[in-house]
Amino acid sequence: ARARPRCAAKGGRAPRDGAAGPAAAGLRAMGFSEEQARRLRGLQPRLGPERREAAAAQLLLLGLGAEAALGLLQRSPELLRLPPEQLQERAGELRRLGLQGGRLRRAVSRCPQLFTLPRRRMAAVVRLLRERCLFTAEQLQEVLGTCPAVLLEEPARLHLHFQYAYFRMGVQQKEMVKAQLFRTPFAELRNRHIFLERRGLYQTPHKGQTQTGNPKLKDILELPEGAFLASLARSTPEEYEVFKQLLAREEEEEKEEEEDRDAL
Amino acid sequence: KKWATTAPRIPVTRLALHHFDTTYSLQLRDLWPSVRASLLCEQKYGALLNNFSPVDHVTQELELLNATDFISQAHKEAQQLQQGTSPPLRASISSNIKCYTFPRGDITRFRPARPDVLGLLDYYLMDAASLLPVLALNVQPDDSVLDLCAAPGGKTLALLQTGVCGHLAANDISISRTKRLYQVLQSYVPKEIREAVSVTSCDGRDWEQLKGSTFHKVLVDVPCTTDRHSVMEEENNIFHKKRTKERQMLPMLQLQLLMAGILATKPGGEVVYSTCSLSPLQNEHVIERAVEIAETQFSISVHVEDLSHFRILFQDTFCFFSDCQLGELVLPNLTANFGPMYFCKLRRIE
Ligand SMILES: C[S@@+](CC[C@H](N)C(=O)[O-])C[C@H]1O[C@@H](n2cnc3c(N)ncnc32)[C@H](O)[C@@H]1O
Repeated sequence: ARARPRCAAKGGRAPRDGAAGPAAAGLRAMGFSEEQARRLRGLQPRLGPERREAAAAQLLLLGLGAEAALGLLQRSPELLRLPPEQLQERAGELRRLGLQGGRLRRAVSRCPQLFTLPRRRMAAVVRLLRERCLFTAEQLQEVLGTCPAVLLEEPARLHLHFQYAYFRMGVQQKEMVKAQLFRTPFAELRNRHIFLERRGLYQTPHKGQTQTGNPKLKDILELPEGAFLASLARSTPEEYEVFKQLLAREEEEEKEEEEDRDAL
Repeated sequence: KKWATTAPRIPVTRLALHHFDTTYSLQLRDLWPSVRASLLCEQKYGALLNNFSPVDHVTQELELLNATDFISQAHKEAQQLQQGTSPPLRASISSNIKCYTFPRGDITRFRPARPDVLGLLDYYLMDAASLLPVLALNVQPDDSVLDLCAAPGGKTLALLQTGVCGHLAANDISISRTKRLYQVLQSYVPKEIREAVSVTSCDGRDWEQLKGSTFHKVLVDVPCTTDRHSVMEEENNIFHKKRTKERQMLPMLQLQLLMAGILATKPGGEVVYSTCSLSPLQNEHVIERAVEIAETQFSISVHVEDLSHFRILFQDTFCFFSDCQLGELVLPNLTANFGPMYFCKLRRIE
């Protein structure tokens, strides 16, 4: 484990021109190259060096390499402005949710918003997955590990996504986890499922019973579109393209009808 | 929205679909999934232009939207093919009928029909494949024509659009549906022309006894399982339990109507039989039986005409089933979601 680096910079402003001044020493000590340090300073030039270094240090503590940490900050420079305590605390929370090591690193690099998301929102998603969707603790870990972006989802949308797979498709939690359900956008899930269903290749289970002849959710979702059409749906890109457009229009019009009914 | 709630009873559309799954998957094999999905998605329309109303600005409007008249296109294609090939395709496409459709894969819809200054509507929206039986009938100047099951009148209107029908008789057993036929004529056809159409409400099966064999051309567009309707609409669905008997009797009714159609035709005249079903029991089998009965019971020789040139001429617009033994069958396809439409032409030998 790496010791928490002390803030080495003593006062003074970071030089604008990027020449290595005393302020760069701290970043260099953390393992950033001269050039990386310069890029880092360019991100939020007004920020004091202590804050910059503290934020960078937090990211390194997650196990990110210098280049990865820099990349992350370049994509979301606003992280530099967060109090280091918040970064630290959020990292701790993500660890408690079971995101460790590589998974945690991948999660924050893929979704830097995990640091800025209000805490309540994150908690709501976790509660939803556990209490309403009834994922076990272990399954939850797997879901967050493979698809950390669920934490950023609107809980209501996530619920709909789950319910669709559960009720409309008759898929159990275990299979959802295996299929990494939430990595597929809802619209795509629906497109693929309804396409198979209308082609007679997916039977909707009636209450209680599970259908055995249906293709596995994992197989439906993991294939790229071309392979999905060729091997599962046995159709052509032309047909599928039209289908998607028609389904989107159906959906649109259903919504309008519902609104009209609600308006009465 | 909740998916948890299940409907209290099994919808009739589901029964219909189940029935089709068991029968059509055997008939169409690998093609069935594609046809099935197409039946369950929004169908495509064609805009049959009303030649009794000024068409120029409508044509312009439609062409701006990228729609094309598939009949004139086929006409051009026929001429091109004719220059090279032997045996020559019979250019049997009545080019007075104009019907616009959007290209393959284009899901744009037509606006509703609008009245012109005289109050006649500018086009009639219908399944474009419904025009194929009318085109197959190939009405020639001064032909007397019978439309035996005519209501609500889409094909009657198309027959009138040829502009060459001599006498036109339009019949339908249902009084209420005949009223809709009147409405269609009223909305599209000028008074002097629509008054020349003789509309009746007889049982088509009795036609010969009532009126004899006097027609050059007879269209027999029979009631059928209306496959697309049956998987989409609960209302008025023939797969409803209480209509089982009626459904089972359809092939018999169809055969009787076709026989009446054959008998209403003059020797040398032609009959086109059509359904909007994929079922061979309602299509080829009815034709086979009718040819046989005409021969054995009425000593009338009937020849089944070859319509395979339709398959070539209209291949850009429709998907045809290549394994149809008698007549032609348009299969719904998502990129060209017309049909199903079966049509077969018979000629009464002199
Ligand atoms: C497929 S629809 C005809 C559609 C029409 N040709 C059109 O293009 O608008 C079949 C029609 O047959 C009629 N029909 C049913 N039994 C009949 C019978 N015995 N005699 C005459 N018409 C009958 C029905 O009332 C129905 O309108």
